[in-house]
Amino acid sequence: MRIRDVVIGANASMYYKLNFRKIKGVYYPRNTQEVIAAIKHAQTNGFTVTPKGGGSGLSGACTGGDDDRVMISSLQMKEILTVSKDQGYIDVQPGINPDQINEFLTPMGMHFYVAPSSRDIATVGGILSTDGGGNDTWVNGTMRDNTIRVKMVLYDGRLLTVDNEGVSSNDPDLEARLNEIGVTLHDVASSHGTLGFISEMRLLIRPNVKETLVGGLAEFPECNALGQALTTMIERNSPIRYGEAITSAHKDVREGFTPPLLILEFPEENEEDIKDITDYKPLDSEQLAKMKDIRIKLPKRNPNEGIQVALFEGYGFHGESLLRLQDRLDDIDALLIDHGLTPFAKYGHGPSKWYIGDNTPIFGLILHSREIRPEGKTGDELLNTVLAIVDKCEELGVTPKPEHKWPFSDMDKKKRLDAIRQIIGEGFNPFLLSPECNDVLGSMV
Amino acid sequence: MSYDKCVRCGSCLTFCPMFDATGEEQFSPRGKTYLLQVMDQIEDDEELGKEFRRLLFQCSLCGRCEETCASGVDLLRIWHEQRAKAIETAPDEFAYLEPLKDALSNVKNIYGLAAEDRAIYWFDELEDEIPGLEDRVYEKGKTAEVMVFLGCLMSFRGSQIDVLRSLFQTLEKLEVDYLVMGSEEFCCGHPLYLMGDDEGAQVLREHNKQVVDAAEAKNVITCCPGCLIQLREHHNLENAEALHHTQFFDRKLETIPQYNQTEAFSYHDPCELHRILEIKTEPRSVINKMGIEFREMDLSCCGGGGLLRMTDPDLSDKVIQLRAAREGVQNTTVITACPSCREQLLGQNLKTKDIVELLSKTLQGGVE
Repeated sequence: MRIRDVVIGANASMYYKLNFRKIKGVYYPRNTQEVIAAIKHAQTNGFTVTPKGGGSGLSGACTGGDDDRVMISSLQMKEILTVSKDQGYIDVQPGINPDQINEFLTPMGMHFYVAPSSRDIATVGGILSTDGGGNDTWVNGTMRDNTIRVKMVLYDGRLLTVDNEGVSSNDPDLEARLNEIGVTLHDVASSHGTLGFISEMRLLIRPNVKETLVGGLAEFPECNALGQALTTMIERNSPIRYGEAITSAHKDVREGFTPPLLILEFPEENEEDIKDITDYKPLDSEQLAKMKDIRIKLPKRNPNEGIQVALFEGYGFHGESLLRLQDRLDDIDALLIDHGLTPFAKYGHGPSKWYIGDNTPIFGLILHSREIRPEGKTGDELLNTVLAIVDKCEELGVTPKPEHKWPFSDMDKKKRLDAIRQIIGEGFNPFLLSPECNDVLGSMV
Repeated sequence: MSYDKCVRCGSCLTFCPMFDATGEEQFSPRGKTYLLQVMDQIEDDEELGKEFRRLLFQCSLCGRCEETCASGVDLLRIWHEQRAKAIETAPDEFAYLEPLKDALSNVKNIYGLAAEDRAIYWFDELEDEIPGLEDRVYEKGKTAEVMVFLGCLMSFRGSQIDVLRSLFQTLEKLEVDYLVMGSEEFCCGHPLYLMGDDEGAQVLREHNKQVVDAAEAKNVITCCPGCLIQLREHHNLENAEALHHTQFFDRKLETIPQYNQTEAFSYHDPCELHRILEIKTEPRSVINKMGIEFREMDLSCCGGGGLLRMTDPDLSDKVIQLRAAREGVQNTTVITACPSCREQLLGQNLKTKDIVELLSKTLQGGVE
C-alpha cells in the first residue's frame, strides 16, 4: 500500500474511513487510452472500478465501498477539446469543472449554465453522475439538461456514446441491445459511476444573457410562508435567476441574519411580479454579493465549538410538503434530535428542479442539511439515522437527497441501472447496488 | 485538533501549486489533512509514515490553502506542527537537513560560511560605488534610526548584488540615518522555523534583538519577506518596528519622480509578503507612485518557499516552470520584492527587478 492509495479516499461525505487495503490501484489518466489501460488492469485481476471526480459529493459513491477495486480519478482529464459557438456546444474531458469552463467561455460571450455550490472543484463528469444542479437550476435545468452527449468506457473496454436519442457503440450488438431498452442520457444522469467511466462530454453552452438583474432579500416569520412564496413562484413560472433559501443556521455562521430567508436575483422588469409574491428588501450589488457569500460558505463553515457533518445531503420539498415546509422541517429536526444530533444549518436552492428515478421532473425547494458532529456515535448509529430520515421523507412526501440520492432510496432508478448492467457488465461501483450497501457505508462513517 | 475541521470539500486543490505541478491528491492540502484524519488507520504502517513525513516537506507553505479554506482550518499552523513532529519522530529521514542546522548553529548563516563573511562579499563589490559604506556597517557603540537586516540570501548571493546596490543608493539618496547589521547579523531563524524548530530559531532571534536594541534603531528594514515574518512576528522587538523595504519607502515618499518606462512589466507578489504578512498595498503603491504600468500576475507561488528548494528542488522547478509558461511572462520584466522569488525567476532565465531597483533608478534620474 502506498500513500496515494490512501489519499484517493478523500471526499466530502461522512463516508471516508475506507478499508485502504482493498484499493488495488489508483490511476490519474490523461486521455481515453489511459482510461482503457486502467480498466484493463482491473478487469484482468478481477477488481471492480470506481470513478472519482472532485470528491465534493456527499453520497459516498466515489469511495467504491469495500470491494477490491481500482480507483480512477478524472482530475487530470481537464482539457477543453473543441468549442462551437454557433452550434452551442463545448467538448470537454470529464475532469474539468464549471468554473474552468466558464473562464474559457467568458471572453467569447458564452456560458455553461450549471452552477453547483462546489463548481470550483466538482467535475462535470461527477456532476452528471449525481445529476447535480445549482442556484439557477430552476431556469437552466440540472446537469442532464445541459449535457448533449457523453462517451464512456465500459468494464470490458468497449466504448459507448450516449445522447438523448440513444446509444452508439463500436460493438453493433451492444448498441442494438441498449437501444432496444431505450438507454439515453437520462440513464447516465445520477448513475453514480455504476455504468462506466465517462471519458468525454459534449455540453450545452449558450450566449451570456444580457439582462439587468436586481437583488432582493425576503424574510419570513416561519417556513410555511417561505414554502407558500416558493410555490407561487413555481406556479407563475417566475423568472428567478438566483434563488437560495436559508431556513436555519447556527448563530456562529448566520452573520446577524435571522432565517428563514430567501435571497433572490431576477430581471429588473419583473420587480412588480416578485413584489406581488413576497415582500422583499432590495439588495444592492454589494449586499447581494455578501448574502451569496454567506450562503455559499455554509457547507464549509464550522461553529465556534464543534464540527459540522453532512449527515444527509438534501431534501426535496414539493407540492404539499413545500406548502407545509415548517411542519415538515419540525418533524425532521425532531427526528435528528431524537437520534442525538444537533441541527447546524439548512439551506438550498429554491425554486428549483430535480428528477426522480423514472425521469419525471419535480419542481420545488432543494434543501441541504448540516448537523453538528456528535461525540460517541458509531458509524452504524449515524447510518441508521440516515435510513430513518429516508423513511421519514417517504412519510412526509419529501424526495430524499434529490441531487445525491444513491439508488437504495429510489427503486425505479435501481431497477433501471440493474437492467442496463445486465447488458454492459457489472464491474463499475457494484457496492452501491448490492444488498450490503448500507452496511458498507455504515462501516465508513 | 484543527485538521478535524476540514470538511474535505476540495476547494484547496484548485489553488495548490503542489497539486497543480504533480496532479496527484496526496500533494494537496485536502490529501494531507485527510491523512491526518485517518492516521489511526495507517499509523502502524512504517512505509506510509515515511511517505507522509516526506510529503509534509513537499510544500512551499505559500498559505493559499489557508486563505481559500472556508472551514477555517489553520493549515499553516498544522503544517508547522506536523513538520516538527516529523523530524522529531524520524530524524534519520531528515539527515539531509543537518548541514543546514549545523551551519545555523555554528556560523549563523544558511551557507555555512564564516560569520564575518556576512559583510565581505557585498561590501567588496559596493564600497567604491557607495561612499562611506564602511561607516554604515554596524559595530558595537554605533547607533542609527534604521537598521538594515539583509538576511542570508542577500548577504551571500552574488545574484542579489543589484538589489543591494539599489537599496543602499536609495537610502543614501533619501539621507536616511541607517546601519547595516553586517557580521553582527545572525540568520533570522526562518529556515529553522520552517522545519518546526522554534527553539533553535529563538537562539538566533535573541541575538538579533540585542543588536537592534543596542543600535537604538527605531526601524528594522529588510527586503526579505521570510526574514520579516521572523522580525515582525517572532523577534519580540519592543523598541523598533520591523518593516519591509517597500513599506519603509512608501511611508517616506509621498511622491516619486516618474519612471522612464521602456519595457513591459508584470508584478509577482511574494506569498509570504502579501498572504502571510498581509503587506499588499505598499509594494503596489511604490510602483504606482513611479507611474509604472504593470500586469498583475496570478497570486500564486513561485515554488521557492517552505524550504522546497532544499527538500524537493525538482518540484520547486516544476512549479515555477508551469507558472512561467502559463502566464507568458518571458517577454516582460517581472517585478518582485523578495530575494527568494528573485532566485526562482532568475533560475528560469526570466528578467526580474526588485521594486527598489526601479526606485533607485528613478531617484537617480533614470541613470542606471
